[in-house]
Amino acid sequence: MSRSKAVLRNGCGARVALAVAFASVLVSGRTAVVRAADSPTAVVQQTSDAVVAVLADKSLTADQKRRKVEDIVYAHFDFETLSRLVLARNWKELKPEQQKAFVEEFKSHLSMTYGKNVETYNNEHAVVIGDRAEARDDWTVKTKVIRHNAGDIRIDYRLRKEEGGWRVIDVIIEGVSLVANFRSQFQEIISHDGAAKLIDLLREKNAKGESLKS
Amino acid sequence: MRTVLRRIRLLMLTALWCCALCGTAHAAALANNHDPLEGMNRAVFWFNDQLDGYVIEPAAKGWDTIAPDRVKKSVLNFFQNLRFPIVAGNNLLQGKPIQSVSDVGRFVVNTTVGVLGFFDPASDWGLEPHNEDFGQTLGYWGVPPGPYLVLPFFGPSNPRDAVGLTADSFCVVYAYFIPFEYIFGSRAVDLVNNRALYLREVRQIRLTSFDYYVAVRDAYTQRRAALVSDQTPMSQEEQEDLYQTEDGQ
Repeated sequence: MSRSKAVLRNGCGARVALAVAFASVLVSGRTAVVRAADSPTAVVQQTSDAVVAVLADKSLTADQKRRKVEDIVYAHFDFETLSRLVLARNWKELKPEQQKAFVEEFKSHLSMTYGKNVETYNNEHAVVIGDRAEARDDWTVKTKVIRHNAGDIRIDYRLRKEEGGWRVIDVIIEGVSLVANFRSQFQEIISHDGAAKLIDLLREKNAKGESLKS
Repeated sequence: MRTVLRRIRLLMLTALWCCALCGTAHAAALANNHDPLEGMNRAVFWFNDQLDGYVIEPAAKGWDTIAPDRVKKSVLNFFQNLRFPIVAGNNLLQGKPIQSVSDVGRFVVNTTVGVLGFFDPASDWGLEPHNEDFGQTLGYWGVPPGPYLVLPFFGPSNPRDAVGLTADSFCVVYAYFIPFEYIFGSRAVDLVNNRALYLREVRQIRLTSFDYYVAVRDAYTQRRAALVSDQTPMSQEEQEDLYQTEDGQ
């Protein structure tokens, strides 16, 4: 993946990433790829640059793109925390193996459904427009997705510092938090049919999606 | 004929108003996704969804295949430009005079340089578009949204935003001197064009959601709250509720 190309495409947000890249090179004395442990803003910018570079690469098939995007996203998202937050107090109701199953199924559900966007990519790209410290030592990075056929879309990422560096724990699209949205849906299902039923439902939906894909 | 139609419209809007006001009386201090009218709401939601699936989405798909991206964008710009009295007026009502002046500036620039609003040079000149309406103004001054309410044809709403929608519809200046039939036609164009811009997004919500109704209800509630607060950061309390894992981490 050509990082410099992705950076150039991104205009003003890229300047931030570039500055961060230079700074980290100066500090660490390394010329290789910037490490994800740097700053939340850098993590978001790098991740989105990397994804855009894959999407814009015409030599890749849709399937190859999907797999590459998955690899990039998996490295920077914390699906376990995301799952815990989505399930809230219901998390504890689950047995450890159920928790594990939920994380896996929820992860594949998200990547399967959002992975479909690979085919409809229309030269969108993201720029970081700001960031702020949050409660619980989290960090929010604000971005704007520039679209050519319609208005821009505001997407904010909430990150939490973990051993391997900053990881995304929520995505907030135009003020709508993914965690909160799934939480209210799952709450409804769990209160009617129980948590085990939710995992079955996830499995069922994922299996159906898989068969649609092939 | 024209006056009759206008009178019917007025009557419908007044009826909506009354329903909405009755709702507001019981609405104070209700939780975020509180939905006491869920049964009725789901029925109306189903109706709207059928209408979308059989009429609006197919029309939008057709429009999407024949109209290039820049045409869709221009149509969007045109209708957004016409909303300027609503945006500027509500910014003023929310005590944001600078934004209001900027909205007037946008209208002047886009109507002239931007050829009747089909282009948006104002954004390139730093006059960013704002999203304001009377529902937001009421929210800004502390009026609670009230219970979730799905309106036929109009979609997700609540008593506060339904009142806002009605008030805003009186602010659309052209409605007073352009015949109803033309307005209806132009609304249809606006609607289909807008729907065409969100084909992928709506498909995505239908696909990712486990309960489409709940997903839309929650998204609407969150989105309106974000718009009212102009996306200011969440309170400490809300953050604790949303981002604390059960083991206290």
